[in-house]
Amino acid sequence: MNDKVMIKLVGLHKSFDELEVLKGIDLEVHEGEVISVIGASGSGKSTMLRCINFLEKKNKGDIYIDSKLIKKSSHDINTLRAKVGMVFQTFNLFPHKTVLKNVMIGPSVIKKADKIKAKEKAMELLRNVGLEEKADVYPAMLSGGQQQRVAIARAMAMDPQVLLFDEPTSALDPELVGEVLQVIDELAKSGMTMVIVTHEMGFAREVSDRVVFLHEGKIEEIGTPTEIFENPKSERLQSFIASIW
Amino acid sequence: MEHIVEILNSIGDFFAVVFKFAPKFDQAIVYTLELSVFSILLGTVIGLVVTSLKLTKLKWLQKIADVYISIVRGTPLLLQLYFIFYGLPLIGLNFDALTSAIIGLAFHNGAYISEIFRGAIVSIHYGQDEAARALGMTKIQAFFHVILPQAVKQSVPVLGNQFIIAIKDSSLASVITITEITLTARQFSAATYNPFPILFVAGVYYYIMITLLTKLLQWVERRLSVNER
Repeated sequence: MNDKVMIKLVGLHKSFDELEVLKGIDLEVHEGEVISVIGASGSGKSTMLRCINFLEKKNKGDIYIDSKLIKKSSHDINTLRAKVGMVFQTFNLFPHKTVLKNVMIGPSVIKKADKIKAKEKAMELLRNVGLEEKADVYPAMLSGGQQQRVAIARAMAMDPQVLLFDEPTSALDPELVGEVLQVIDELAKSGMTMVIVTHEMGFAREVSDRVVFLHEGKIEEIGTPTEIFENPKSERLQSFIASIW
Repeated sequence: MEHIVEILNSIGDFFAVVFKFAPKFDQAIVYTLELSVFSILLGTVIGLVVTSLKLTKLKWLQKIADVYISIVRGTPLLLQLYFIFYGLPLIGLNFDALTSAIIGLAFHNGAYISEIFRGAIVSIHYGQDEAARALGMTKIQAFFHVILPQAVKQSVPVLGNQFIIAIKDSSLASVITITEITLTARQFSAATYNPFPILFVAGVYYYIMITLLTKLLQWVERRLSVNER
């Protein structure tokens, strides 16, 4: 982790019709930093994450990626998305393409990458997530944990500067959670900047540099894992922690 | 006993007529195939175009597509064919019978096919589009690389059904003087006063065509379902 700010959110607001989900979020994520976002259902965790890469359109506030203010033009947004990878709760692999093609599709369609190089790189990424031998099968033949690892490789293929994880293990059977967390952990150690929305408190505590606790659309508390989990200051965080341990 | 002989005799007569007239349908079969193939191909093209119109954000383009679909679905094909063949010449648009029939059938199929495509496209889970867009794809890239291939696959069984209907609907072209299978059968019936064997021949020809198409569609479906398990 260093001083370079990779993501900066300033006064982020988001409403769905009448319902105000984000009520002014300010957050700086530094290069190489791993941030976990925790909080109860409906606290706005996923919405915040989805606003960062404009899958949800913010109502107010500014988003800076790599010190660049992102405007609403589709060019800006597509460029931003190529730099900011996203991993979904439900994997969302492309079922009509093989594992290898899933990983290659980003570079080949968006960056018009050379086929042979894209393939080499995809194979390397699959090796990193331990799925090299599954390159030629279709996603439907994989377990949830394997699918999520492919989804991580697919996101990495775009050489993102930041990876966003939207509850990456929530849709998995308990015995498959570990293999996905291990891959995320390796990415964290390699210096990848990451924002992880998660319910895996043990993992958040272990892997994060800082933990954000969201409550009703605001950052209620932010700090190191030790501060958040062992020394929660706000009453709400205290009761949240008490409710999950 | 006498009764049984009588029945056997009439069966014999029946098939004598069947085999006598079956080869005389060659030109009729060509017409029916022509009508079917062109109305399916053109109908598919029209269907794709109309689906695209409906998926644009431009309200007036959507409106055009809606009006087209509602007219086609709201009126009988028979009337549509009459209108094109007998009605359009009144405003100076003259087509020969075959062209009129192909236009009419394609126009008709296009509306149903566009709804089939639209249904298949909206049935693709939004997470697919999100995943493609999150990688940095434009809307158009996401549509052509992620949504459309899945939608086409999804639409094959229903599309096949529509193609089968298209073959049978080609028989309506008989009302605008095209001597395809149905009209040919009617003419032979009138000439011989013996309609049943001849209608039987016509039925067999339709049945063969549709069975072959069904086999083809099953093969396509199998080929496309490789990625399901």
